[in-house]
Amino acid sequence: MRPKDTLKFLIVILLCHYGNGLRAQDAKPITFDDHIAPIFKRHCVQCHGETKQKAGLDLSSYLSTKKGGGGGPVVLSGQSGSSSIIKVITAENPAERMPPENDALPKEQVALIKAWIDSGLRQNAGSAAAPTRILGFTPAAMTNIAGPAPMPSKLSAVEKIKTTRPFPILALASSNRAPLIASASYGAIDFVDPKDRTVMGSVAFPEGEPQILRFSKSGGVLLAAGGRPVQNGVAVLFDVVSGKRLAEIGNESDAIIAADISADEKSIAIGGSSRIVKIFSTKDGTLLHTLVKHTDWVTAIAFSPDGKLLATGDRTGLIHIWDATSGGVVFPLSEHKASVRSLAWRSDSKALASSGDDGLVVWWDVSKGWPSISKPDAHPAQRPAGYYGKIPNGVLDVAFGPKGELVTCGRDQTVKVWATDGQLVKTFSILEEQSKTNTQGIKIFPTRVALTFDGAILVAGDSAGRIHSWSLKPPKK
Amino acid sequence: MFKSIVTWFSLIVVAWSQLVGNLSAAEPVASEVGFRRDVMPVLFRAGCNSGTCHGSARGKDGFMLSLFGYDAKGDYERIVNEIVGRRVNTAAPEQSLLLLKATGAVAHTGGKLFANDSEHYQTLLRWITQGAPDDSDKVPETVAVILFEDRLMFEKAGVGKALKVTARASDGSTRDVTKLARFFSNNESVAKIDANGMVTSTGPGDTNVFARFSRFTTGAEVIVLPPESGFKWSNPPEVNFIDKLVFERLNKLRITPSELCDDSTFLRRVTLDLAARTPTIAEYDSFNADTKPNKRAAKIDELLTNDAFADFWTAIWGEQLRIMGGDYAPVGTLVKAADTYYEWIRKQMRAGRPLNEFVAEMVASSGSNLSNGPVNLYTMLVHKPQFEPKSFAADFSQVFLGVQIQCAECHNHPFDRWTMDDYYGFVSFFTGMKRKPGVEPRERRIFCDPTAAPARHLVDGRPMPAKVLGSIDPVKTTGDPRKELAIWLTSPENEMFSRNLANRIWAQLLGRGIIEPVDDVRASNPPVNGPLLDALSKRLVESKFDLRTLVRDICNSRVYQLSAKPNPSNFRDTRQFSHAHLRKLRADVLLDSVVVVTGVKRGFGGFPEGTRAIDYYPRGGGTEGPNFGDAFFATFGRSSRGTVCACETKREPTLSQTLHMAVGDTVRDRLNAGGVIKKMVDDKFTPDQIIENLYIRTLCRPPNDEEKVAMRSLVGDAVKDTSAYEDIFWSLLNCSEFAFNH
Repeated sequence: MRPKDTLKFLIVILLCHYGNGLRAQDAKPITFDDHIAPIFKRHCVQCHGETKQKAGLDLSSYLSTKKGGGGGPVVLSGQSGSSSIIKVITAENPAERMPPENDALPKEQVALIKAWIDSGLRQNAGSAAAPTRILGFTPAAMTNIAGPAPMPSKLSAVEKIKTTRPFPILALASSNRAPLIASASYGAIDFVDPKDRTVMGSVAFPEGEPQILRFSKSGGVLLAAGGRPVQNGVAVLFDVVSGKRLAEIGNESDAIIAADISADEKSIAIGGSSRIVKIFSTKDGTLLHTLVKHTDWVTAIAFSPDGKLLATGDRTGLIHIWDATSGGVVFPLSEHKASVRSLAWRSDSKALASSGDDGLVVWWDVSKGWPSISKPDAHPAQRPAGYYGKIPNGVLDVAFGPKGELVTCGRDQTVKVWATDGQLVKTFSILEEQSKTNTQGIKIFPTRVALTFDGAILVAGDSAGRIHSWSLKPPKK
Repeated sequence: MFKSIVTWFSLIVVAWSQLVGNLSAAEPVASEVGFRRDVMPVLFRAGCNSGTCHGSARGKDGFMLSLFGYDAKGDYERIVNEIVGRRVNTAAPEQSLLLLKATGAVAHTGGKLFANDSEHYQTLLRWITQGAPDDSDKVPETVAVILFEDRLMFEKAGVGKALKVTARASDGSTRDVTKLARFFSNNESVAKIDANGMVTSTGPGDTNVFARFSRFTTGAEVIVLPPESGFKWSNPPEVNFIDKLVFERLNKLRITPSELCDDSTFLRRVTLDLAARTPTIAEYDSFNADTKPNKRAAKIDELLTNDAFADFWTAIWGEQLRIMGGDYAPVGTLVKAADTYYEWIRKQMRAGRPLNEFVAEMVASSGSNLSNGPVNLYTMLVHKPQFEPKSFAADFSQVFLGVQIQCAECHNHPFDRWTMDDYYGFVSFFTGMKRKPGVEPRERRIFCDPTAAPARHLVDGRPMPAKVLGSIDPVKTTGDPRKELAIWLTSPENEMFSRNLANRIWAQLLGRGIIEPVDDVRASNPPVNGPLLDALSKRLVESKFDLRTLVRDICNSRVYQLSAKPNPSNFRDTRQFSHAHLRKLRADVLLDSVVVVTGVKRGFGGFPEGTRAIDYYPRGGGTEGPNFGDAFFATFGRSSRGTVCACETKREPTLSQTLHMAVGDTVRDRLNAGGVIKKMVDDKFTPDQIIENLYIRTLCRPPNDEEKVAMRSLVGDAVKDTSAYEDIFWSLLNCSEFAFNH
């Protein structure tokens, strides 16, 4: 990367970071990307966005905003007084005002939108024409995974956000090449030593809660995606060694709940409540493909280790397999009767494991598109005598180990290890410490599982924010 | 190989908390907020779990709650555990989506429901701060919702009064839930009620306002009086308890009842209501000639002893019980079965069998559909090749109790007391009903298999043994549970049953139920005159469920005999029986009246010559379903028997009815075919006599002076020309005075 590009990249990062604040606006022109989009995202795009376009209006992007809706343009450059968007957000009568059934937008935000219209509807700070965003990220070559495994060192200290109680472990990932676990907490990501569960260091995630963590195949990059529910969603790439932010991709109106990075680190895929899977280039942040086949929230995304396929699952239970490079449809996998919770590829890319809220774990033969092993009620909950009704038995996460062993965790409060042939090998309970916490009437269950790169340690995070680990060490001879 | 590895696994340590210190430092809260006790009511009050929002069957925007909270356990799971950390964030409680959405802090299709400084917000926040615990086994259930006042009286419009709502729990404790209840008014042109329970009168009349909390709907009566000036109670004489109760109510509402109707109006009204046809000229003459003071009562007694009365009620029951003859054997509704059933009902009606015994026999009967009439309750009520316990139970309660319990199939009844427990327990009375082929191909033998499994609760799959509505414990029986059902249903203590019968009988005679519609009895549809319905029901029970006793009382009351002509005080009243309602004749009564007036019979396919319309019921139909009968009936709105709904009998006049009467074969072909006019012309009647005869024959009254002149001028000099009289006859049959009971 040329030094000039690096500089540009840093500016972009800074703008992204402070874009939501109003600090920079005195000197800088008011732009859609920096000032207006966050307002629309927070107040408008639920109904006028990518998923729904009430009155044909989509305020999620600059171009679609300029285009307007069924009733014509909503913004007229230089004429805020005549722009219909100003009329509807400032209407005196609450019945006519947008957003509907809510308080009016704060005065400062209305003023910002007015100023933006009157100053000529700029898209961004640079110029009228948007320059290519360079994210300054160099993908590791597929073959170049020799050398020492990346481990965090010299991470700067991160000040953690104080919370009432620990935040649930929503995301957990294991490095493919090193004894290293990444674990999500509230507004930060911890690098954890799986042996003793000590935190080696942390990186900040001020965008909200990371919902998904994935190490790249090289082990050098950590993808963290998440955000604040119904407020913002973003995917961030971190350098594992330095903890440095490499790129911020995506600008969603809801927290991203599913994401993965391709084996060649050239692209990432994200999904969430918008029902759309987006594939971005990590090089310049451009949107490569938009996959629109899911009819409900996209809940799980996984690239195959050989880089050829992309698996995505949704809340109706449907899984789609796509061509990872072209974004073309390969086939759907339909077996789950409730939300897909997790997808994981075996290292040979021949098998995909899926788990769902229906209690089912499936090992898919991806060459044929059939389930090769199917385990209904993989985590059956105990039924007290005389108790009727459905007891939640969802399987919340699946992960493969290096030798093809599978680990799962479920709402039955256990973590399970399965052999390659689908035989149950061992069950662990996370309940041992239940009595130590003041959690009467609150059910704690494991939310995420991972196996270390060598398959020796099983790690699980739970809904009370704790990390559990168990050794699966081979016998000493 | 992997297996050999893991046989040696070892558990390292148990667990480790990232923020152990913070966990124990969670702030203690003064009083614990419970999910069911405190949080669910907030979701209810804010409307989160209403049918148009997250309470819809599929939820809204990906988040589903049970409608009005019938499934608290499931709601807890969905709010707290379905998506960890999103809807409820116990680490940073203010960031919980539940709160951000409800306060409109983030985009929410449902908008802002309450503010950050509201009590509702504080309740939810405190609950989440406590860690969002479930309180499943600790919460006493709400058993009653009580209003501070059950009657609000306003002297004028524009006055307000606050309603206070109290909930009583199963442990005997009470609490004020005014801020958690939802309110609605049945008629906003009388009184409005706002979200905080403030009632404001808007115009004269009476209605009910309701508060809903938990699964209860409780109402208060609201009366807004018209101006007192000019009102003076006319103090009409009271014949019996009915007059006393109706007049009491009218006096309270400052409504003056109409005058008593004249003799000919009474004769026509009571003959149409009890004999299902218009009176003949002979009946008119003899009633007019009678000078005894009690001649109206005598007429009622005479009509009650006539078979036509029993036959008319057989027709009414036949409609409600959906008697139709079909030809498709598996349905079991062969014409012969329908005949057997119909004639059995006729026999009971003619013999004056107590109505409770009549119903009880049907409910508990078993055997052949061809030889045992009453068992056809189980073939006719739901015309299906397979017996369907759920549809049957719903129709059964609608017919015999006037209660629509089918809402409770999927969720607790939103506007009544019925829960899913009630519904499935009730369905279980019928889950054992079976049909097996009999001796001849079209015979079906109906029986109950007492070993059949009971219905299962939709929410949790729990088996629900047979249990009567409103009871907690199932019936104790080892055999056919329908025996217990029949005893409970028809016992004098079961007011739901006697009130339903009394209300339906009243509606048949007055044109409007005290509860209307008659088959939609629910907490939010209370009687317009509760004491009256109570008294009628009591009278029915005291008379050992004798139909004729109650009909006699009603017909003898001054209320029944009031004129249809309103006065300035009561013209607005449509529901307090201050004047007679104009009632369009039922299709069968209309047709029989045309036959009586013209003297020309009407044939029906498959029935003997001379069959009256009221004795007709649909026959025919095969695998495609039942045949709903003669085209005349379809046009004039006789119940198609498509469902058990009372609304199947249509009362609205339509254009095709007018056209049919004007140019259709029913009237046109009968004007001269009966020879009525020809005979009078041949017998040298004067034009005035003929005109008077036609008036009395058709409208049960002589023409007035104006009419006499007009009709006479129509005839002119052609005094022997029948066509002029036919025109007059045609006009009389086509006027609304003929088509209505007034």
